[in-house]
Parts: sequence; structure tokens; C-alpha cells
Amino acid sequence: MYAVWVVEHKPKSLNEVVGNRDAIQKFANWVKSWEKGVPKKRAAFLYGPPGIGKTVTVEALANDFHMEFVEKNASDYRTEDAVKRFAGLASQYGSLFGGKRIVLLDELDGLTGTADRGGVKAMTGIVKTAQCPVVLIANNAYNPRFSTLRNYCLLIEFKKPPTSEVMKHLKRICLREAIEVEENALKFIAQRSQGDVRSAVNDFQALAQGKKKLTYDDVSWLGYRDRREKIFTVLRMIIYGKTCVGAKRAVDMADVDIDMLFEWIYENVPAHLTDPHDLVRAMDALSLADVYRGRIRSTQNWGFIRYVVDFMSAGVAMARQNTKAGGWIPFKFPGRIRMLSRSKAERAMRLKIGRKIKRKCHISAVRASKEILPYLRIIFKNNADMAVGLAKWLDLEPEMIEYLAGTKKKAEAITQLIG
Amino acid sequence: MSFEMWAEKYRPKTLGDMVNQKEIVERLKSFVRSRNVPHCIFAGPPGTGKTTAALCVARDLYGDAYRGRIMELNASDARGINVVRETVKTFARVRSIGEIPFKIMVLDEADNMTSDAQQALRRTMERYTETCRFILIANYSGKIIEPIQSRCAPFRFMYLPREEQDRYLRLIAEKEGLNLLDEGLNAIFEVCSGDLRRAINNLQAAASLNKPIDAKVVYSIAGKANPADVRKLIEIAMNGDFLEARKQLRNMIRKYGVAGSDIIRQIHTEIFRSDIPELWKIKLADVVGEIDYRLVQGSDEEVQLSALLARLVEASYELGKKI
Repeated sequence: MYAVWVVEHKPKSLNEVVGNRDAIQKFANWVKSWEKGVPKKRAAFLYGPPGIGKTVTVEALANDFHMEFVEKNASDYRTEDAVKRFAGLASQYGSLFGGKRIVLLDELDGLTGTADRGGVKAMTGIVKTAQCPVVLIANNAYNPRFSTLRNYCLLIEFKKPPTSEVMKHLKRICLREAIEVEENALKFIAQRSQGDVRSAVNDFQALAQGKKKLTYDDVSWLGYRDRREKIFTVLRMIIYGKTCVGAKRAVDMADVDIDMLFEWIYENVPAHLTDPHDLVRAMDALSLADVYRGRIRSTQNWGFIRYVVDFMSAGVAMARQNTKAGGWIPFKFPGRIRMLSRSKAERAMRLKIGRKIKRKCHISAVRASKEILPYLRIIFKNNADMAVGLAKWLDLEPEMIEYLAGTKKKAEAITQLIG
Repeated sequence: MSFEMWAEKYRPKTLGDMVNQKEIVERLKSFVRSRNVPHCIFAGPPGTGKTTAALCVARDLYGDAYRGRIMELNASDARGINVVRETVKTFARVRSIGEIPFKIMVLDEADNMTSDAQQALRRTMERYTETCRFILIANYSGKIIEPIQSRCAPFRFMYLPREEQDRYLRLIAEKEGLNLLDEGLNAIFEVCSGDLRRAINNLQAAASLNKPIDAKVVYSIAGKANPADVRKLIEIAMNGDFLEARKQLRNMIRKYGVAGSDIIRQIHTEIFRSDIPELWKIKLADVVGEIDYRLVQGSDEEVQLSALLARLVEASYELGKKI
């Protein structure tokens, strides 16, 4: 069984909490002030977007200060009576066992009108008379229902931590889980989370668990994940559409651009249209859509985009004459896009070699890497002498020689001959 | 054996050295004689001498000093609009000293330039005609915007005919002291069919094995990108497996860089070689022709060719019904 990393690697101490240094300091100072007697504000109201460590901060502080931690959250009832019963806990600073106590009322946004009737009022009562630190947490402290409550609280805003802070946290997890992760893969996950550390850790676990190594290619497709459900609906409306209008409307629904949608359709049509005549009609429609893309390019008339849309949506929908709708065939991520994001490092190396070839051979680096490089590989694998000559002539670097030769051993033989 | 890229070493230096594209070369020679070169588009498949012709024109025009008078820019490496604005303009507007008042700008793979860049280029070409002549090189002239096309003298380069490719390879084999067998030569033509650069690269890679160059060696070199693969592609499609066929096609284009024009040409040949009913051959030829036309108009190679593969799947299905 795997543990959930968000729990497993939750910060145990304040200095492990991601970002929000100022807020944490303010909060810690307020808790410390209780040592000198009851402060003016008996409650702290922590607020900010989800997943940025508000609850974690309170837990970590309780841990650091050796306090007894009492929590109530949205999963508990918060009617007036329920809260009042809770009130007793907040009425004394020292707990039964001599330690100090901190009380947390979490997820206040979750208070609903009827079920938690009177809850806010009761809470305000507790806060006014509390004898120990009371902490309130909500995403939005400025909700009008908190207007009275707010007056009795020290407001502390939590902000989204920057990507670098999120990365630091992920790196700590890497270390503990003994996973090797490419820097840009971590960065990608961190950036995508937009400061929501919890979702970043969840994403990270989903991608990295059970692996020894996580590369950028393993994560780069993630960007499309959120949109997957939506694109599936769009594809269904197009491939199994019955009217031209319906299929065309689906295009407007898609939140990917036309070219990306084209790739999705082009990738998935063949698996769904099993009748050969249907397939021909659909592929021909896509072919024509593509021809119009070419016409846009050569004439610069973007108005032609409407014909691209016609053929890739309505054209494809009308192709289905014989194939029955039914059965479940999964939709696949466009293979050509996947190919692009895969082997990024290798493409970079090929291009570097391509640039060397370009300098000598009057050919673009891109084409050289496609058209000439394969022959170089054959030569470098088979003929060290010729390889040496070419390596010198092209002024190749050792890493390039190794890539072309395929093995370290062969590369060393060649490099030695170069001297 | 010499140790550089033979395709470079044996690249013709002057128009007089060029063995193929006779009519084009003649016209280019007349430009050189009249000391005036219009803007040109050299269009045609890879390895047919487009870049070579451009370099030869420059060398014949300017002699040894040609290097300072010509600039080569590869559109697929730097195809943004800024490159056109900055690099091209800077080069184009400075008058060159000497007998010939203009320089030559070679834009390779111009069909890969974005339309924005092409639009920018169009004005630059007009404004600096006095000081700079452009030679645009492209596989498909259809991908070049019409306003530019209309400003250029078009030249269509063709694949080398069999004899000329053979003659060239034999010459290299002799100079490099290779044992090139006739069957090896046959195989190279089958694999590269008139793409001279590829043919020479093939020859050099084959030579690196230090064995007599026979058909087996050549095919092993050509590896994944040889006609057997197109044959296999057709076979898979004719077995009705479109998805697998498309996967093969994708690999050929993406991994091995086979040009779409090559694939379609080979499919065309294979259809007439195959044992499908005669009537179907001509039906399919019509489809191939249409797709070829769409390719030349400047479309996505994989999308177009997979539409063709779908036709093959359909054909095999129809044929199966008849038997």
C-alpha cells in the first residue's frame, strides 16, 4: 500500500511549510503573545486560496510549540448547539494534561445556511471569550456572513507561494522517496499547480510513484489533462454527429485551438469509423480541411478557416453512413503531438549535430538532422577511420560522437584516434 | 578514401560542371552571361541540384570573390519574421562594390517560411531589387505566397534520370577507389531514385562497411527508408489495417525523414507493379494524382498520404467482396 504523499510528506514543522514566511511569522508571534496573557484579538483568521498550507501551518505550529491541537472542520456539524459544546474546549488555555491548547475551526466556507444555522453567531461568541488561541480558516474572509466575526480576529492572509518554493517542497519529497527527477519536470508540475501545493504534490505522486526516475517527457502531456473530458465530448459530437450544424457547433465548444482539434480528430477518426467507405469519406474530409489550411497560408486569407472547420467537423460527421454508433472505443491523445514532446533531449542533440552539418553542407540544420545524420550513424558505427575524418571535418564534440557511434566504447575509439 | 561528406566534396562548382537539369542550367548560364539575374524560385524534390545551382550561379557571376556576395539562409532554422526584417534587409540594402551591382540572397526551404515572413520578404524583394536578387529554394512552390511567386522566374527541378545518377556515382566510386557493383548501383537508384544527395550519402555509408558494394549492402544501409517499406506500407493498407499503415507512414515521415513526394511516387509505381485488377490500377492512379496535387498545393504530408491509405484500404475491401 502506498501512503498518500500529501499526508505522508506534510510539513511537521513551521520551517518546512512552503512559502508565506511573513504570514507564518505574524501567526507565530500572535500565538507566542498568549504566554503574556490574553491578547486583544483572541482569534486568528487565516484566509487564502486552497492548497497553500493554511491548515498545515496550524498543525506544524502546534507541533513546534508542543500544543494540544483541537480541530473542527466542515465535516462536523456546526449548528449553534454543536459549536457551543465545542466552546468548552476553548474556555481554558491549559489542557487537562498540563499542556497548552490551540483550537482550529477549519473550512468555514463550508458553513451552509440552514444546517449550520447560528454556527457563525456561536463562533463569534467563542472568539469573544476564548481563553486559548482560536484559529479560523476560510478561503474568503470577506464573505459578508463573517463581517461581525472578522472584527474580533487578527486577519492573516496566505498567498500562493512562488514556483520556486513549490519546487523546493517537491524536491524534499524526491529525496525522501528516492526518486530522481529532471529539474524541468519538477518545474513543469510546480508551474502547473499555480501555487496550489496540495495539487502539485498529488500530481507529482500520480506521475512519479513507483518510478526511479521521472523525466520531462513523463509529465509534459499533463498540460492537456484538464481539458480531456471536454475534448472527448467534442470528439463524440463530431465523429458521431448527425447534423452538420451540430458537428460545427462542437468546434466552438472545444477549448483547444483549431489545429489541435484537427489533430485530435485526425488521430481518433480511424479507430471509430470501421467501415472502409466511411473511413475514406472522413479522411478525405480531413484532407480537404488540410488543403484549406494550405490555402490560408498561401493567400493569407484567414476567412478560409470556415472551410477548414466545415470539413473537419461537418465533413467528418457526414462521413459516417455505415458504421454504427455503439460500443466503447477510447479516445487517444494525438500521436503526432506526443511524438513531438517525446525524446526532446534526443531531438536537441540531433539538432546540435545538424547545426554542425549545416556549416559545411549548405543544408538546414533541421533537414541535416533528418537526412544526413542517419548516414553518419552508420558510418560512425562501422568505420572508425572515416568517422575520425568526418568528426574533424564537421568539428564534432565528444558528446556528438558518442551519440553517433551509439556506444561509449566506439566513441572512445574514435576520440582517441582524433587525438 | 577521403574523409569528408562526399555529397559536399563532389558538389559541382560551376554551372558547367552540372550534369543534370540541362534546360535550367542553360537559362542560368544565359543570366550569368548577361550579368543579370532576376529573382528566382527553384522548386523541386530534394537532391536535384537546387542549392548547387544557386551556388554555381554566384560563383560564375562573381568568381573567387563570390563568398562576400552571397548569403544563404535556411528558412527552417530561422524562419521568423524578424529574421527577414533584420538579416535579410541588412544584407539586401547594402550595395556591393564591383562590376555587378547586386548581391544574391539564397533562401533555402523558403516553403517553410511563415506567411508573415513571406509577406515581409515580398516588400524587401521589391525595395532592394537594385542591390539584391533573391533565389528562393523550395520543395513545393505552392507553399510560397502568390505575390512572391509572381515576382520570380520559376524553375522546376526534376529528379535525376537513371543514367545521370549512375554516371555521377561511378565517377565518385572511381575517385574514391570503391568496388561498386552494378547491382549495388541498381539498388541505390531504387532506394534514392534520382535524389542525388541521398544517393551519394548512401554510397558513402555503404563504403564505410569496407565491403564490395552490392545490393545487400545498399539495402541494409537504406534500412528503414527503402522502397520495400513503401511496399510494406501498401501491403498493410491492402490488408485492411489502416491504423497500422498510418503508424508506418508516420514513422517514415517523422523518424526517417522520407519526403512525402518520394512516398507518393513510389506508391504510384507500386500500384502498377501490383497484381490488382487492371481497372483498379487506373482508378487508384486517379486518387494518387489527386493527393499528389494536394501535396504540391502545400498541405500536411501525413494527413494527405493517410487519406490515400484509406483509399487503399477501401480498394482492398471492395476487391475482397468481388472474389
